[in-house]
Amino acid sequence: MKPTLQRTSSRSGSLFLLPWLIGVAVLVFAPLMFAWVLSFVEWDGSSQQHLSWVGSQHYCELLLGDAESPRGPIASPSSSASDQQADPMFYKAMRNSVTFSLFAVPLSLFSAFALAMLLNAPLRGIAWFRSLFYMPHVLGGVATVLIWSWVLNPAFGPLNSIIQTAYDVIDPVVRLFHKSGTAAWPLPGWLMSKTWCKPAVVLIHVWTTGGAVFIFLAALQRVDPDTHLAAHLDGANAWQRLRLITLPQLTPAILFNLITGLVASMQSFNYAYLLYNRAQEDGLLFVSLQIYRTAFEPPYRLGYASAMACILFVLLLGVSLFAFWSRRIWVHYES
Amino acid sequence: MRVSSTASVLRYAALIAVALLLAAPLLAAFTIALSPIEEVYSTTRPTFPTSLHWSNFFDAIEKVPFLRFIANSMLIVMFAVPGAILTSAMAGYAFARLQWKGKKACVLFLFCSLVVPAQVLLIPHFVLFSWLGWVNTYKPLIVPAWLGGGAFNVFLFWQFFRTIPRDYDDAARLDGASHWFILTRVMLPIAKPAVAATCLLSFVYHWQEFQKPLIYLSDFRTYPVALGLRMYQATGGSWINLVMAASLLALVPILVVFLCLQRHIDTAKRESKT
Repeated sequence: MKPTLQRTSSRSGSLFLLPWLIGVAVLVFAPLMFAWVLSFVEWDGSSQQHLSWVGSQHYCELLLGDAESPRGPIASPSSSASDQQADPMFYKAMRNSVTFSLFAVPLSLFSAFALAMLLNAPLRGIAWFRSLFYMPHVLGGVATVLIWSWVLNPAFGPLNSIIQTAYDVIDPVVRLFHKSGTAAWPLPGWLMSKTWCKPAVVLIHVWTTGGAVFIFLAALQRVDPDTHLAAHLDGANAWQRLRLITLPQLTPAILFNLITGLVASMQSFNYAYLLYNRAQEDGLLFVSLQIYRTAFEPPYRLGYASAMACILFVLLLGVSLFAFWSRRIWVHYES
Repeated sequence: MRVSSTASVLRYAALIAVALLLAAPLLAAFTIALSPIEEVYSTTRPTFPTSLHWSNFFDAIEKVPFLRFIANSMLIVMFAVPGAILTSAMAGYAFARLQWKGKKACVLFLFCSLVVPAQVLLIPHFVLFSWLGWVNTYKPLIVPAWLGGGAFNVFLFWQFFRTIPRDYDDAARLDGASHWFILTRVMLPIAKPAVAATCLLSFVYHWQEFQKPLIYLSDFRTYPVALGLRMYQATGGSWINLVMAASLLALVPILVVFLCLQRHIDTAKRESKT
C-alpha cells in the first residue's frame, strides 16, 4: 500500500510543481543572477556591439564617486559632472526612499494595529466594518493616487479647506495671544512643496494600509481570552494587559508586517512616478523612479540601473535578515 | 469580562469615525466628479455641487478611449487570474501533500521568492521578454501568472490545504483517483475561501499593475486602465472633474469583484473559528 502511494506521489507530483518551479527558476533566480552580471556591463539594450564590460565601475561611481575608478570604454555621461562624490541623484533618491520608509512603515504599522484592535470585538455588523477597512487596500493604485492628488491640492483641495476652516474656528482664541491671529498661518503645500511632499505621500500610503490590519486581526483573534480574564481578575489594568499579554503574542505578526511593509515601501514607484513635479525639487525622487529613469529613458543605461537595483536588493536583504535575526530578542513564539 | 454597553457604543463611534475618514477621499472625489468645472476652481466652492452633472462621467469616457482601456484590462485579467489560481493551487497541493527529493530546498526558494524586490527583477525581465519578442504584447503581463501565480498565493493554498484532513484524499486515492482529480474535485471545492482570496488578490494585482504595462506597452490603444488613467493627467490636467469621474469608474470593477468575493472569504473565517 504505502510504496505505491509514494511512487505515484513522486511521478505526477513533479508535474504539479513544474509551473511554479519554472517560474522560480526563470523569473526569480535567473533574473537575479542576470541583474548581478548586468551591473558589471555598460549596455543600452539594443545590440551586442553596444555592450562592454566595465567591471566594478558602476559600483564605484554610485557609492564612491568615479574619480579613482577604472574607466570603461564608454564614458558615462555623469562621469564629468561628479568628482570624488557618490552619484548625487542616486544618493538623493536613496535618502528620499529611506526617509519615506522610516515614516511610512512605523506609521502604517501603528495605525494598522490600532484599527485591528478596534475591529477585534464581537459586535453586530463588525463584518461590514472589516470589509470597509480593507477596501482602501484593494483600491490603492493609480486611480486612488489621482484622487489623493486632488484631495491634497493646496489651493482648492478639500483637505486644505478643512484646515482653513479649523484655522478660522480657533482664530478668536489665537487672537487673545497674538494680534494677527491665524491669518499669517500657512497652509501646507502638500505635493506642491519640497517640505510637504513626503508627508503627503506618507499620508496616502497609510491610507492604503489594509493588508496589515488583517494580519494583526488574525493574530489578535488567536490571543486567548482566558489569559486576559485571569489578568483582569488579578487587577491588571487595560494598558498592562495590552503590554504584557497582547503585544508579546502579536510580535510574529509585527515582524511579518515590518519586513513586508519595508520591502514594499522601499520599492514604491507609483507615488514617485505619478506625483513628481518640479515644485518638489526632487523630494519625491525615489530609488525605484531613479532606476526606471536610468534604464528606460535615454540613454538607456541598463547596466548602471542594474547596479542601483542590486544595491537596493542587498540593502533590503540586509535589513530583512537583521529584522529576522533580531526576532530572538523581541519576538515571542509559543512552544 | 462582560462588554459594557457604553464601551460598545464608544467602539461603534470610533469604527464609524474611522470608516468616514477612510471613505472621505472617495466622497470628495465623487462630489468633484459631479461638479461643473467652473465650480471646482472657484474660491467660494460650495461643499456639495449645486447641480449634479452626471454627464461628467460620459464626458470622461469620451475624452480618452476609456472603455477600450477597461476592455484591455478585462482581457489581461481574464487570461491571468485563472492561471494564477490554477498553478498556485497545484504548487500549494504539492507542498501540502507530496514528498519529493529537495522539498526542503523548494520551501526555502518559496520563502526567498517572497521577499525578492520586484525592482531588481524589472530590468532582467525586460531584457528576457524583449529577447522573446514579447514587447508590445500582453504576454509579459499574463505568462508570469501561469508560472506559479505569486509566492504568496502558493503559500496561501499550502496553508489552507494543510488544514484539510488527509482522510479525504486518502479515501479518494483508495478509489483510484489521480492527484489531478483529488485537487480539482476534492481539495479545491473545500478550499473555496482560498480560491476566492487568490482570485481577489490576483485580480487586484493585475488590475492595478502600472509599472509593467508602462514598460512593455507603447501603443496607447493597448493600455490597460491603470495606464490609461495617466492620459487624463497629461491631456486633461485642468479637467479635474473628469479625472475624478474616470478614476472612480476605474475602481468600480474592483469594488464589484471585492463585494462578490468578500462573502466567500468571510464565511470561511467564521466557519474556521467555530
